[in-house]
Amino acid sequence: MSARVRLTVNGEAVERDVEARRALSDFLREDLGLTGTHVGCEHGVCGACTVLVDGWSARACLLLAAQCEGAAVTTIEGLTPAAGLSPLQEAFRACHGLQCGFCTPGMIVVAHELLEGNPAPSEAEIREAIGGNLCMCTGYVTIVRAVALAARGRRAGG
Amino acid sequence: MTPAGEPGGWVGRAYPLKEAARLVAGRGRFLDDLAPARLLHVAMLRSPHAHARIVALDVTAAAALPGVAAILTGAQAAALSKPIRPLIPTAVPIGDWCLAADRARFVGEPIVAVAAVDRATAEDAAEAIRVTWEVLPAAVDAEAGARGEGPLLYPELGSNVVWHDTLTYGDVDAAFAAADGVLRERFEMQRYASTPLETFGCIAAYDAGTDAYTFWSNDQRPGLTMSILAESLGVPQSRLRLTCPDIGGGFGNKRRPAWLLVCALLAKRTGRSVKFVEDRRESLTALMHAAGGVMEVALAYRADGTLLGLSVRDVTDEGKNLVSPTQHNLIKLGNIANGYRIPAIRYEAWSVLTNKCPTGANRGIGKPFMCFAIERSMALLARRLGLDPAELRLRNYVGVDEMPYRTPTGAEYDSGDYHATLRAALARFRYAERRREQVEGRGRGRLLGIGVATSVEPAGTNLASYEIITGRRAASGSAEAAMVRIEPDGRVRAAIGDPPSGQGYETVVAQIVADELGVAPDEVDVARGFDSATTPWLYLSGNYSNKFSVTDTGAVVGAARRVRDKLVRLAAHRLEADPVDLELRDGAVRVRGVPGRALTLGELARTAYADVLGLPPGEQPGLEARHAHQNPLARPMDAARRVPSQLVFANAAHCCLVEVDPGTGGVRILAYVVVHDCGRELNPLIVEGMVHGSTAHGIGAALLEEFRYDEHGQLLTSTFMDYLKPTALDVPDIDVGRLEHPSPVTPLGAKGVGEGGAIPGPAAVANAVEDALAPYGVTVRALPLTPETVWRWLAASRGA
Ligand code: FES
Ligand code: FES
Repeated sequence: MSARVRLTVNGEAVERDVEARRALSDFLREDLGLTGTHVGCEHGVCGACTVLVDGWSARACLLLAAQCEGAAVTTIEGLTPAAGLSPLQEAFRACHGLQCGFCTPGMIVVAHELLEGNPAPSEAEIREAIGGNLCMCTGYVTIVRAVALAARGRRAGG
Repeated sequence: MTPAGEPGGWVGRAYPLKEAARLVAGRGRFLDDLAPARLLHVAMLRSPHAHARIVALDVTAAAALPGVAAILTGAQAAALSKPIRPLIPTAVPIGDWCLAADRARFVGEPIVAVAAVDRATAEDAAEAIRVTWEVLPAAVDAEAGARGEGPLLYPELGSNVVWHDTLTYGDVDAAFAAADGVLRERFEMQRYASTPLETFGCIAAYDAGTDAYTFWSNDQRPGLTMSILAESLGVPQSRLRLTCPDIGGGFGNKRRPAWLLVCALLAKRTGRSVKFVEDRRESLTALMHAAGGVMEVALAYRADGTLLGLSVRDVTDEGKNLVSPTQHNLIKLGNIANGYRIPAIRYEAWSVLTNKCPTGANRGIGKPFMCFAIERSMALLARRLGLDPAELRLRNYVGVDEMPYRTPTGAEYDSGDYHATLRAALARFRYAERRREQVEGRGRGRLLGIGVATSVEPAGTNLASYEIITGRRAASGSAEAAMVRIEPDGRVRAAIGDPPSGQGYETVVAQIVADELGVAPDEVDVARGFDSATTPWLYLSGNYSNKFSVTDTGAVVGAARRVRDKLVRLAAHRLEADPVDLELRDGAVRVRGVPGRALTLGELARTAYADVLGLPPGEQPGLEARHAHQNPLARPMDAARRVPSQLVFANAAHCCLVEVDPGTGGVRILAYVVVHDCGRELNPLIVEGMVHGSTAHGIGAALLEEFRYDEHGQLLTSTFMDYLKPTALDVPDIDVGRLEHPSPVTPLGAKGVGEGGAIPGPAAVANAVEDALAPYGVTVRALPLTPETVWRWLAASRGA
């Protein structure tokens, strides 16, 4: 069973036939080639697949592509400038907020959402925000530092 | 070799990951991102039973589904391939094929593989396969197996015990006879795993024209995998190519040659590329667990706390592991004495098969359990003797003046000041002050506990240690290979046979090469991952046993120096200078003190590759060198069965403060301090990250993680909803301090760092929780310390 779905992905209009059971994560990765969205559990726990749907973070493995009719989806590719890195990405690099990098796109998506709503998060707020994303490599310490650094940079930059 | 650090001094700097630029942008290339044309996807039909005979198998309906390209049963796989070679030969040879043919021996063991146009179709087909099972009783208790009881996995072996032996080092009986006391305890370790966020996967393609296979996999140990693939497929290694892309975490778990074989057989059958990627449930159920087990410890001591002897009985629950059993036993010989002077040691070991997921390498392999048993025992002994636990340790450490120190089992501690490490950790933790706060807190009803645990962390496995078991030597030592090349345009490129899975080798290798060749790390391109066709590699190659710092670095330095030496010879010839007057700096070979008399790497590369008449007489064209290095501490087993199972030794001290919620039994870590000494730090950013991550693994094992099986061998924790991993809300802001006692035996003075937190972490947290529960008289003998476990202790004690 397939359905026609129309949505916006990283600012571009997309129109595709999708099987009703196609998860948004598979749709993004396989149909659109946006492999920056990773899949770590496919049961909604690890957060690796996190993308923004209409500005809110959502787990792409728990959404069906067909549910996203009319939605605006933003993936890590959409949060990456055409040249160079965003200040948030740069903070992850500078703070060593990643090792294998598999959780990183999901972490950056939730950190982006946090900073959009809260320009001066406390450490506890940062931990709360990334608390639904698993990282098996870093023990989270440097990820927290990276988000805090990005927040400071944003404030300094006005 | 002379220490690096000249001329750029890049080694030792906190240089941010070169890899980060692609990874933070989602531009990594992980296994599942690869999609060759006309790709087929595999789903596996897996056993729902821990132990069952396949009476009948009907794939007709599945094969008829549209989109299904091929179905491979266990019986077909056994006809088309040879069994996977075991590391430890069994008494009677057992065929262990890539799919189970007649019997399944653990829940999740695959018996049929389906290749279809997409994964969903393959899963539909797998569901349409009809299996008639005869369910057999399951062996779930390794101790029963050690006693010769319970159902047999392989009746032809007559036992589930793969190995049982007693190794005795020194006069253990005399030590116990002379002791003022003996502490006897029994500890258990649960099954857990590091569960890299990216699951295991592979792609195989077959070329009928040349009878050759190409593989892509996030396999951590490609050297060994190449030999297994060649043997099982019956083709020479020259007709195999294995490539590892970016690997999303490994920690030892990322290996399963069987799945590569399944894809290879399906690729040959269909003539198409075939991909298999585990889903999370498959990964948790059937990839690899750290072995659980039971350990009985007897520690003989003098009244002043001096340790005299140690006797350990260690039963390892291997699951259905025919490929690498005994690994969890043998590796414990590396840290059985931990940092202590224990003159006499007896180690009695059982390696026992059970109807559970195969065990295998997992951050620290066996050493976290060994450390847990020793460090728990030290905490209990301190309590018994009325000594502060830190003081008891200080009385027993091997002294800095005793280095290098040979332990009774044959391990060589190359350098380190264990007293200083613990003292630094206590100071950083504000130990005395926190003890006072603890007393005050208790007065106000708070259950605060302080835990100390210290550890040695070996690196590099010496495979000669298997001689203890097999009586003969097959593989031995610890070695790695690397390549450094200056391209015809002058750009530097390097590759190494060890595919990283988050350790930042593209950065560290670039730092090392940069120092040797007088360029900046950004001017060195290090190959991503591994490619057997282009990367230099050995059977021993791979990303395992903490070996980068102690083995791989020698390969990189060696290759870079050969290229450097050649650059100097070329430049000396062309500049008509004495080689001793030349230096490599800022991308050129320069005559020291004579500005302008210099040749850039690009100019020298032109001579080497194009204008070859300009080469010195007898010099070969080209600017490329390969070098392999073996760690010099590895040696064969001696007549007393002493063998260094692992090599260079780092060390660490962990102190943590926890609070137990008396209402819920929940444990919160309020402070966590690590002081570690991994010799020279090649890149402090990476080192600190390793310590954080590794410690978080220890915390997870201590408080949350367990693969729990019921009495029928059913796995009860097979998703991240019930197999709990630590989140950012569980792991505290781990505070890391460091000492640097360089290793005298590694080329850059570095030691291993990847496993250091995972080894003492469980013991440190357990010691703290027990300390918090001191008013309740609880002894921690097993993990994880879940709220339920702790709450039951509190309730039982209140009820009593
Ligand atoms: S893949 Fe979606 S939450 Fe894990
Ligand atoms: S960096 Fe590997 S999972 Fe987070």
